[in-house]
Amino acid sequence: MTTERVGFFTDTSVCIGCKACEVACKEWNDVPEDGLDFTGHSYDNTGALGASTWRHVAFIEQERDGALRWLMSSDVCKHCTSAACLEVCPTGALFRTEFGTVVVQQDICNGCGYCIPACPYGVIDRREEDGRAHKCTLCYDRLKDDMEPACAKACPTESIQFGPLDELRERAFERLEVLHVAGQSSARLYGQDPEDGVGGQGSIFLLLDEPEVYGLPPDPVSTTRDLGSMWRAAAGAGAALLAGIAVASFGGRR
Amino acid sequence: YAPAGLVDGPFPTHYEPHESPFGNPLYASQQSNPARQQIRRPENPYNPTHGEPGVEVFPYVATTYRLTEHHTAGGMSRWLPYLAELQPEMFCEVSPALARERGLEHGGWMTIVTLRAAIEARVMVTDRMTPLTVGSRRLHQVGLPYHWGSRGYAKGDSANDLLGLALDPNVHIGEYKAQTCDVRAGRRPRGPALLALLDDYRRRATQAGVSEPPAKEERP
Repeated sequence: MTTERVGFFTDTSVCIGCKACEVACKEWNDVPEDGLDFTGHSYDNTGALGASTWRHVAFIEQERDGALRWLMSSDVCKHCTSAACLEVCPTGALFRTEFGTVVVQQDICNGCGYCIPACPYGVIDRREEDGRAHKCTLCYDRLKDDMEPACAKACPTESIQFGPLDELRERAFERLEVLHVAGQSSARLYGQDPEDGVGGQGSIFLLLDEPEVYGLPPDPVSTTRDLGSMWRAAAGAGAALLAGIAVASFGGRR
Repeated sequence: YAPAGLVDGPFPTHYEPHESPFGNPLYASQQSNPARQQIRRPENPYNPTHGEPGVEVFPYVATTYRLTEHHTAGGMSRWLPYLAELQPEMFCEVSPALARERGLEHGGWMTIVTLRAAIEARVMVTDRMTPLTVGSRRLHQVGLPYHWGSRGYAKGDSANDLLGLALDPNVHIGEYKAQTCDVRAGRRPRGPALLALLDDYRRRATQAGVSEPPAKEERP
């Protein structure tokens, strides 16, 4: 890639739960409204990421050391280094852009849905109205014009930060250190490790509790990671079976 | 800056709201602001306040507030799908203790009643609403976002229907943040049954001896 890889650093410690990111994303990308449902999950009536929700703000009310804490976090597609959705796509609709992001081309996607179970986070989904798979594009069109994504632009607290991924990773570690020094021992990063199951995420998060609390998988693994060894094991088993048949049919005394 | 001066004051003091379950601990003889503007009309019945018989008919306190996703009474935000889907339905925030006391189910329906109206809302049980301890009594408060109305992409009952008008003497803004109320589980009745419910509350509040407001009264 000739351009630097870009991504998000979402610092949930300063998220105020305003949902400007959800609205800005839908406005810019013309994503349809997807359900007037009172979920009862605190102030989160969006529920989860989906074909027509590319930014989802989670609200978690927690009791911590006798005090009430209200965690807020804006979830988004992780644009994984090892993106399973991309690897299983049979049409090539999903591709890696020059910015290192993962985008699904709407004119190529045939709606087969292979990408949907592939994603370890449950991000990508099929939109019923048109049958195709949709997800966050990291505002590919804005990136091409040297602009930041709509959500990052709209975020009033700079909880959503956009930039070169290496720079964001450094900033994330610095911010984590600040929080730890201030006594927030449960603060941690999520998706920053290039050695993790998806090869590191293009969206790094700073969380104030375990990933499960936010509805995130604690140890996500690309679903295609073990495909090679799975096929090798199957081939080995097949070969052993053939060898066994051969021995049974032609070997030894009769 | 008020060039003509203020109608009340000059010293800061404490008055109870026009509708309050408690007496004024500062002045035994002056419960609420004597200069407040009261609108005594049949359309604006006041819940019994402390010291008046029938005050126990409305044992809880309601306050109103905003949400981020909607704007004021919702006329400009409830019609926008991107905002409506973020907060689609009118809800009322209650503490777990009040929910237990009144049989309110999280995510279910509840009805909030004053002498002016009865409205329904989805139940949001949350630890963020805490019962208050006032003196030796426990007081439950309920939280009402006031963004909904009968029309729009997102519809719901209007919290403003509950409010009685007792106005600040200087700027004539009503006491929208402190009203007494009752809460019940379930949706509110409709049509004649709704009027019957309100009549029942009026009967219970007035049977206890509160006199009917005069048909017409001089406004200060």
